[in-house]
Amino acid sequence: MKKWPFSFPHHPLGLLALGLISVPFVGGDFFAYQIGLFLIYGIATQGVALCWGRLGFLPLGHALFFGLGAYLAGGVLKASTKEPMWLFALPIALLIPALLAWVLAFMVFSRSLRNGPYFSLITLAMSMLGFLAAQQWSEVTGGFNGLGDIPEVAGLDRYSSFYWVVACVAFCTTVLLSILVKRPIGILWRAISQNEDRLQLFGYATDRIKANAFAFSAFLAAMAGALFSAHQGIVTPQALGFVLSTEFVIWAAVGGKSSPAGALLGAVLVGYASAELRDFFSFWEVIVGAAFIVVVRFMPQGMAGIWINKQEQKNSTTNDPPQLAPTSSAPYKVPDLIFDGVRVTQSGVKILDALTFSVNGPGIRAIIGPNGAGKTSTFNALTGRLPVRGGKVSIAGIDVTGWRAWQVARLGIGRKMQIPSVFSELTVDQNLHIALWAGRMHGTQSLQRSPLAWNTKICDEMLDLFSALKDQRHVTAGLLSQGHRQALEFVMTVLPEPHLLLLDEPCAGLSPAETHRMIEVIQFAVQRLGAAALLIEHDISAVAALGGDVYVFHQGKLLAQGLLAEVQNNRDVRAVYAGAKK
Amino acid sequence: MDRRHFLNTTVATTALSVAPNIFAASPLKVAVMIPQSGPAGLFGPSAKACAELAASEINSRGGILGRKVELLFGDAGLAPAEASQAALKLWKSGGAEAVIGMHDSAVRGALVGVFKGQVPYFYTPVYEGGECANGTYVAGETPQQQLEPVIPWITAERKLKKWYLIGNDYIWGRNTNAAGKNYILKTGAQVVGDEYLPFSVDNFDASVARIRDSGADAVLVSLVGGASVGFNKAFASFGLSEKVLRLGTLIEENTLAGIGIGNAKNLYSSSGYFANITTPAAKAFAQSYSKKFGPQAPMLNGLGQSTYEGFLMLEAIARKAGSLSVAKMDAAREGVNYNSPRGAVTIKSRHVEQDVYVADVDANGFRVVKTFSRVGSGQTCKA
Amino acid sequence: MTMDSGVILHGLNITYELATLSLTTLGLAVVFGLLGVMNMAHGEFVMIGSYAVVAVQQLGWPVATAMPVALTICGLLGWVVERWLIRPLYARPFDTLLATWALAMLLRKLVEAIWGKGYRNIEIALPAPVNFLGTPYPAYRLMLIFLAMLILVFLYFWYRKSSAGLRVRAMTTNPVLAEALGIDTKKLASQAFVIGMSLAGASGVLLSPLIRIEPGIGVDYLLDAFFVLVVGGLGTLAGFTGGVSVIGGSQALVSSIAGQTSGYAVVLIISIIFLWLKPDGIFSRR
Repeated sequence: MKKWPFSFPHHPLGLLALGLISVPFVGGDFFAYQIGLFLIYGIATQGVALCWGRLGFLPLGHALFFGLGAYLAGGVLKASTKEPMWLFALPIALLIPALLAWVLAFMVFSRSLRNGPYFSLITLAMSMLGFLAAQQWSEVTGGFNGLGDIPEVAGLDRYSSFYWVVACVAFCTTVLLSILVKRPIGILWRAISQNEDRLQLFGYATDRIKANAFAFSAFLAAMAGALFSAHQGIVTPQALGFVLSTEFVIWAAVGGKSSPAGALLGAVLVGYASAELRDFFSFWEVIVGAAFIVVVRFMPQGMAGIWINKQEQKNSTTNDPPQLAPTSSAPYKVPDLIFDGVRVTQSGVKILDALTFSVNGPGIRAIIGPNGAGKTSTFNALTGRLPVRGGKVSIAGIDVTGWRAWQVARLGIGRKMQIPSVFSELTVDQNLHIALWAGRMHGTQSLQRSPLAWNTKICDEMLDLFSALKDQRHVTAGLLSQGHRQALEFVMTVLPEPHLLLLDEPCAGLSPAETHRMIEVIQFAVQRLGAAALLIEHDISAVAALGGDVYVFHQGKLLAQGLLAEVQNNRDVRAVYAGAKK
Repeated sequence: MDRRHFLNTTVATTALSVAPNIFAASPLKVAVMIPQSGPAGLFGPSAKACAELAASEINSRGGILGRKVELLFGDAGLAPAEASQAALKLWKSGGAEAVIGMHDSAVRGALVGVFKGQVPYFYTPVYEGGECANGTYVAGETPQQQLEPVIPWITAERKLKKWYLIGNDYIWGRNTNAAGKNYILKTGAQVVGDEYLPFSVDNFDASVARIRDSGADAVLVSLVGGASVGFNKAFASFGLSEKVLRLGTLIEENTLAGIGIGNAKNLYSSSGYFANITTPAAKAFAQSYSKKFGPQAPMLNGLGQSTYEGFLMLEAIARKAGSLSVAKMDAAREGVNYNSPRGAVTIKSRHVEQDVYVADVDANGFRVVKTFSRVGSGQTCKA
Repeated sequence: MTMDSGVILHGLNITYELATLSLTTLGLAVVFGLLGVMNMAHGEFVMIGSYAVVAVQQLGWPVATAMPVALTICGLLGWVVERWLIRPLYARPFDTLLATWALAMLLRKLVEAIWGKGYRNIEIALPAPVNFLGTPYPAYRLMLIFLAMLILVFLYFWYRKSSAGLRVRAMTTNPVLAEALGIDTKKLASQAFVIGMSLAGASGVLLSPLIRIEPGIGVDYLLDAFFVLVVGGLGTLAGFTGGVSVIGGSQALVSSIAGQTSGYAVVLIISIIFLWLKPDGIFSRR
């Protein structure tokens, strides 16, 4: 029996509802009309806050979707006065901007991880193009004068009863966003903003996640725009332009970009205050500018930052009993890994020089070699982090040269980074769950509560081995010591049950005792998974303890391969390490 | 009207009727929508001053329908959505019973949609024509007014053969040039170029080059604000002002200040008002203005002064209609006339028949060189 | 008027547009191109430069003092802004963007408060049109064109050949290593920022007789400059000239064929395409 979500702990939402209801009674119909306008803007602001505060990319041109929704809805409403059937076309007014947003975001994000600031500028430029188009295309949009005479919706008087529609929608979006933030998708969003690289290595197609989120935020903006057209009765090109886009950003910043209620209230408070004080105080915008600078410099979470953060950590765990997670969709067999003449160069330096080696069957292998030998670069080339300029990489017979990190991960490859890479602002528990969901959570499951309670046997076993982690499940990962962070990342690497593990110096920074422990755990895990593992290690005693084949890399090539003793006696290897005569 | 508002008005009325006052009834609140920010913000101060002057003069005459005029100002320089918010506030919350608007057409469209003929709305600045909504009354000049008599006169005076038309790409620019083209062709002259620029442009060299290439001897300038300043300065800097004449319908004192008198050779402006008009009515007005506001007063110009015209129009129609209800005013408006600093004005078809002045520029600024009396607006509103 | 003089006039017009675009973009090229700071207040510094001339005229000082006044104000402001606003936010590019945008708003409002929103005109007797290659062309614009070319040549030699330029290049390619070698990157960054802002102010002074001067002109200069740098690529002179040519050239070309709106739209579209496909621009540092 699902618990009714509006129970006691959700205080801020209850207060919001109370506030919204009391507006017309406290200030009169006209006051409610004015607040209604800023609630509408607030919904669009929530869209901006979602992308910026949760996912970490900043849409600078969000008014494009707001204005598109406004013009489309306005057109539909006007047409419906002659032909009521047109009203059924209203949802299209919301879906077209969302679709446009999805396409835009997908095209940009799928090209590279580093496109964040460029994305912002693209949205800005598109907003300006939209503004230009709205001004010029007067036959359709009414040009400079705008699209006027938009009728009221369903006979609701825009100066009195329409307020309730707006308030209702604003409340619903706030509730929806507040709920989503606590669902798995919300945790994934935050993970993207903290460490998108890592998330991709688990097999999450982050470009799609970002595109979906952006499309959703555009949908919110378009919905706000549709309300705007009914509320105002006229839509002009300013609804699409640069100025409104930046106002959304300011309201999100001041109100609180990580809080849906904060973003809404930011728009209402700052926006309404601006509209009022502008008449009395001509330096008002100077104050807003100064306040904005202060917020950006000293209060990145805005006004809402003060109390929302504490709420978040408490509410993000579930009280549901743990259930067994569904099986992973990763392949069951240990894939064969073949590097065939792989060449990687950067800025003229040869990093991998026609590297050729292969790994077949389960078991741990070690990769050793001096600094700059290309060990980590091999992993990077395999997981799509370095562009391959020649040769072929294949996994289980599939040519994966140039594949992206998440595509490779989905073939059952797990990777642990050299510097422990976890989601530092999420708790240990949330970190583990993200790894657990990889390959198991599909479709709309990320919107449901159940994945929050998932567990697997391996997870329990790993946590038994690292009891320190078990005790710190609710600690923020960034606060863990180096050793615990290594442990956490290792456990996370194991949880998706990959069959080829790439471990990059898992014992770096560990004391001898911790190193010993880690090796034991690695051996246990690899055997438990029936997987193959490639371990980059500098500590020869650790390599010795592992047994198994050793690959020696040097200057981007495979120098020698075999058991440790063989390799240690190899003349070329000795020459490289000890500088013997050629 | 909800109970709260009704209560407020009743209380206010009662309070006023108790106070000793030459005005019998409650004050008449007039909402004045002028640009206080944005690109047209520079006209705000002069419009505000003219509105205040109008109100004080009207009040000294006994007010409108025996009621003292009280001004409520709203910022029309914002985007139409925000400007209509401001107007709405003055109307619904502030109790305004008439609206005087000196702002662009986009805001006008928004306000007409908001008011829906429920409150008398006086639109005062130069505009493109075509406003016929219920309850609206237009004091502003139309392209027909500013060009129909002027183009034949100036073509004959200066023996012009080829005209080039340039304007900002929106309804006022295009309508003005379209009307101008008509009149130009009727005089037998040619139109050798017709181009439109968006507001964001501030480099006009290409346009100036094209004007030069076209061999035009006159240019009809339907540019606004910064575009007008930029274009005219560039025009002069390429040496074209010696040989090619310019005529504009929205070149007022502020724009001239931006252009610079040195760059205004052979520049003509056609308008319903200039600060330098020497008719007795205009001079008296200028004197009252400087007396009330002193030497630092905002510079008088056609757009700011049009706000004053709006008040005179309101006063005249209200007097004839005996009421402020839109129905009665609409019924009474046709043929109402009054005298203003611009001359004798008659209301026809929601617009005004007024005098049109053509000025060129000398060392002191605008100098009226020709006056056309009682020029019709060329607008016909059916209702 | 012969056909040739028409062509020459159009050619000069395009060259002039490219020259002014170069001058107004230079400041941002230093700040964004070299330091990676998205300074949204760049246009306002150009605007302040123009207002310096207005102020100087109002005070009755000789016009020649406008340049030093503008350089001082912009330099000082640049130093303060770099120290208190930019430096703490170096690691947060979005926040820098927003903080500088707020700064732009502040500067605009301050100028409005002092001088009002009206247009200002510079009362300066510009020299009469000069006959250049058979066509009359305003002398002042010619001077600006030559000045822009001179500055570009100077920059080329300075950046490529001087030791200061070498240090700057070191800092931009590998700041950590540069610091390790004893280059004071903080001071260099501060200096670069100050220089960038002063260049912006200087361009405002130079352009003041030719443009409309009002508090809101900053945004257009900012956006044009951004797009030039995005398309051309940050941090190289070739990128700078490439970006100016592509943006300025395409705008001029399309405008003369299809009108100014289309010209501006084309600039936006080109910028979007570059931001999407080749965000490092044509000539990136890589």
